[in-house]
Amino acid sequence: MPTSTPLDPSVPVRHRWFSPARLLAIASNTLLELVRQKVFYFLLLFALLSIGSSLLVVQFTFQQQFQVLKDVSLGAMSIFSWLLAVLATAQLLPRDLEDRTLYTILAKPVPRFEYLLGKLGGVLLLLALSLALMSALFAGVLAWREQTQLALIQAATPPEDLEAAVQALRASTFTPSLGLAILTIFLRAAICASLTLLISSFATSSIFTVIVSVIAYIIGHIQPVARDYWLHSLPAGQGVSPLVQVFLGFVALFFPDFQLFNLVDEAAAGNTIPFPLFAQTSALGLGYAMVYTFLAYLFFSQKEL
Amino acid sequence: MRARLLAPVLLLGFGFAKLAPESLLTRVRQSANLHTAPVQISLRQNLSQMGFLAALSGFRAVVADLLWIQAHTAWENTDWGRMKLLLDTVTALQPRAVVFWDGAAWHMAWNASVSALENPAQPRLALRVKAQREFFRLGEDFLLRGIQNNPGRQELYNRLGMLYRDKFEDHARASDAFAACAALPNAPSYARRFAAYELSRVPGREAEAYQTLKKLFLEGEKNWLPTLFNRIRFLEEKLNVRPDERLRIPEGR
Amino acid sequence: MADPAAIAIRNLTKIFPVPFRKEKVTAVEDLSLEVQPGQIYGLLGPNGSGKSTTMKVVLGLVSPTSGSTEIFGRSSLHVESREAVGFLPENPYFYKFLTGSETLHFFGRLCGLSGPRLAARSRELLALVGLETAANRRVGSYSKGMLQRIGLAQALIQDPRLLVLDEPTAGVDPAGSREIRDLLLQFKQRGITVLLCSHLLGQVQEVCDRIGILHQGRLVSEGPLESLVSVEDQTECLLRNASPELLRSIQAQAAAAGAEVIQIRKPQTTLERHFLKVTHGVSRDASTQPSPQHADVHAP
Repeated sequence: MPTSTPLDPSVPVRHRWFSPARLLAIASNTLLELVRQKVFYFLLLFALLSIGSSLLVVQFTFQQQFQVLKDVSLGAMSIFSWLLAVLATAQLLPRDLEDRTLYTILAKPVPRFEYLLGKLGGVLLLLALSLALMSALFAGVLAWREQTQLALIQAATPPEDLEAAVQALRASTFTPSLGLAILTIFLRAAICASLTLLISSFATSSIFTVIVSVIAYIIGHIQPVARDYWLHSLPAGQGVSPLVQVFLGFVALFFPDFQLFNLVDEAAAGNTIPFPLFAQTSALGLGYAMVYTFLAYLFFSQKEL
Repeated sequence: MRARLLAPVLLLGFGFAKLAPESLLTRVRQSANLHTAPVQISLRQNLSQMGFLAALSGFRAVVADLLWIQAHTAWENTDWGRMKLLLDTVTALQPRAVVFWDGAAWHMAWNASVSALENPAQPRLALRVKAQREFFRLGEDFLLRGIQNNPGRQELYNRLGMLYRDKFEDHARASDAFAACAALPNAPSYARRFAAYELSRVPGREAEAYQTLKKLFLEGEKNWLPTLFNRIRFLEEKLNVRPDERLRIPEGR
Repeated sequence: MADPAAIAIRNLTKIFPVPFRKEKVTAVEDLSLEVQPGQIYGLLGPNGSGKSTTMKVVLGLVSPTSGSTEIFGRSSLHVESREAVGFLPENPYFYKFLTGSETLHFFGRLCGLSGPRLAARSRELLALVGLETAANRRVGSYSKGMLQRIGLAQALIQDPRLLVLDEPTAGVDPAGSREIRDLLLQFKQRGITVLLCSHLLGQVQEVCDRIGILHQGRLVSEGPLESLVSVEDQTECLLRNASPELLRSIQAQAAAAGAEVIQIRKPQTTLERHFLKVTHGVSRDASTQPSPQHADVHAP
C-alpha cells in the first residue's frame, strides 16, 4: 500500500467559528444535489404555459393579451418557486439523516448553524437560479409578442394616432415594477423555504413537513383578514365567542401575512409599485426569514442525531 | 432551555412585534390603492370551492384569466346574462386590472347593446331601444366602478368619454370624462382635444369651448388637425366672432 | 503536563426519552474510559449495548445527559474538538451525485482545505485506499467495499490524529476487510489513534491493543488485549515433523513433571486465510486496482 504523508504542518488549518468557504461548500453542494434531481424540467412546463397562454388568447385586444400573459407567467413563477421552496427544503434534512451524510459532515469541524445556513443557502440559490431562468423566458415571450403587436399596430393605425398606440403598447408590456414584483416572488419563496426548514427541524417525516408548510401558506393568505378582525373589530365589542377570539389571535400572531408579498397582480395590471413600499416589504420578509431560520437552528442545535 | 419550550415563546414575541409593521404596510398599500382587498364573501358564491381556495392563496389572477376566457366564449354564444355574471366575477377578483373593467364595459355597451337593438325575438322597437340603453348603462356602471378602484388610470376615463360621446350622445359628460382623462399621467395627447370638441357641442357653453380650442390652436402645429379647424370655424360662426378677430387657419386645411 | 488522552470519557450517562411514554431508555450508564494516543482501541459489545451512542457523544452528535467527553483535551461540546478527528459511520452513504474525487473535495473544503493543497491531498488519499481508477465515478455506483474505502479517505482528509470507525468492515468481503485491517495497522505505525467499534471479534483481536466491552450501557471489561485473552496457566507449543514416539515421550515427561497435556491436535488455518488463498486474495471491488502488495500481505 502506498503511504500517506501528513499534511504540511507549516500551513496550519485553524478553526474559525464561521467560515464563508465552508458555508459556500455546503450551499453549492446542496444546489448541485437539487439540480441533479432534474428539477429544471419544470422550466419546460413554464415555457409551455407562458407561450401557450399568449397564443390561446389572440382574439383579445393586445392589452388583454398581455394581461393574460403576465398573469399566467407571473402566477406560474409564484407557484413553481413556492413548490420548489417547500419540496426541496422539506427533503434536505431527512435525506442527509437517512444517508448518514449528516453524521460525516457534522463530525467535521462544521458548526451546526453553518450546516443549516448552507442547506438553506443552496435552496435559495436554486430559487434565484430558476426565477432568473423563468424571468428570461418570460421576457423573451413578452418581447416577441410586443414585436408582433407592434407590426400589427404600425400596419393598421393612422399616422396621427400611431404615437399614442405605440405608447399604449409599451405601457402594457415592460415596466420596472415587473422586476420588483419578481423580487417579491423570490422573497415569498425564501420565507416559505425558511418556514419549511423550521418545520423540518423538529418534524419526523418530510410528508408532515410539506403538509404543515402548505397549510401555513394557505392560512398566511387569510392572516390579514384574521388580524384585522382581531385588532379592530373585536375591541369594538362584537359578540364573538372567546374560542373564536383565541383562534383569530393565534392566526394573527403565529402566521405571516403572505398577502403583503403579493405585488405581482399590481405589476401585471400595469400599476407602479413605489420603491419605499417594496423596500419596507423586503425588510419585513427578511425579518420573517431570519426569525424562522433562527428558530430552526434552535431546534437543530439540540437535535440528537 | 429546551427548544420545544423556547421556540413558541420566541415565535409569539415575534408575532407581537410584527403586528405593527404588518398593519402599517397594509394601511400604506390601501392608501396607495395598491392593496387588493380580501375577496368579498359574495364573490364566494360565484366561485367553485377550488377556485375560492386558489383565489385566497394568491393565484386569483390566473383564476380571473380563466373566467375571462369563459366570458369570451359566452360572448361568442351571445349569452349576455352569463357573460355579465362572469365579468362581475372577473372584475371583483382583479379590481386593479384595468383591462378587465375596460373590456367588460366595451362588451356591454358596444356588443350587447347592438345585439339587443337587433334582437329578432322582440318585435317592438321601443322595447328594443330600451334594452339597448340598459346595456349602455351596464357598460357605464363597469367603468364607474373601475374608476373607483383605479382613480389614477386614464384608460377608464378615456373609455367613459367614448361611451358618453358615441352611445349616450351626452357631450357635456363626455367632455368632462375626456378632460379627466387628459389630467392623468400617460394620457393620450388627443384627450384634451376630444374634451374641447365635445364641449363645443354643448349648447350654452360655446364661449368656454372656443377659449379652450383657441388655446389648443395657439399651442402649435401638433394640434392643427382638420376636426380642430372645423370646430373652431363652427364656433366662430355661432358666436359671431368678428372676421378680424377670427383665428388664422392655414390655407388648404 | 502530560499529553492529554486521545479520548477521555468521564462518567458518561446518556438517557433517551421515549416519545409519548413516561419511561426512558438508558443507552450508556456511568461510563469512564481513556484511549491513549497511538492506540488502536476496540470498543466491543452486542447490538444496542451503547457503542454507537458513546461514539456519537464523543463526536458531539448527541449531547450527554451527564458526564463529559474530550478529544485531545478539548470538550466534545465544542466544534473545534472535531478538527483532530475523522469519522467513518456504519454503512456510510455519501452524496450519490458526487464522484469519489468530488466527495473528498467537499469534505476537504469543510475542513478548511482548498486549492492545490486539497487536490494533492485528495489524490494521495484516493491512492492510499486504492480508488484512483474509480476517482471519477459517481459514488452511487460504488460497491459496499468501495464506499467503506472512500469513507475512510474522507475521514482522513484533514489528517486527523484520531479516527473513529463504526463497523468499518460490515458487509465487506474478506479481501476488502483484510485491506482495511492492513490500513489500520498502517495508521497505527504513523501514530494515528483509532477507536474501532465492531462486533467482529476475530478482526478486533487481530489489530487492537486495548479492548473495552460494553453490555447494556455499562463497561463490563476493559484492559490490554493480551491480559484479557491469554490463559495464564496454559502453554502452547507447535511442532513440525514430530513423530508419534516423540509425542508419547513428551506426554510421559509432562506427566512425570506433574503437568497435564490437555490436547494434541493438528493446527488449523483460519477460514479467512483459506478463503483468501483459494480466491487469490483479490475481491471483485479490488480488481479495479490490481495491487502487487496483495500477495505479500495475504500470504499466511
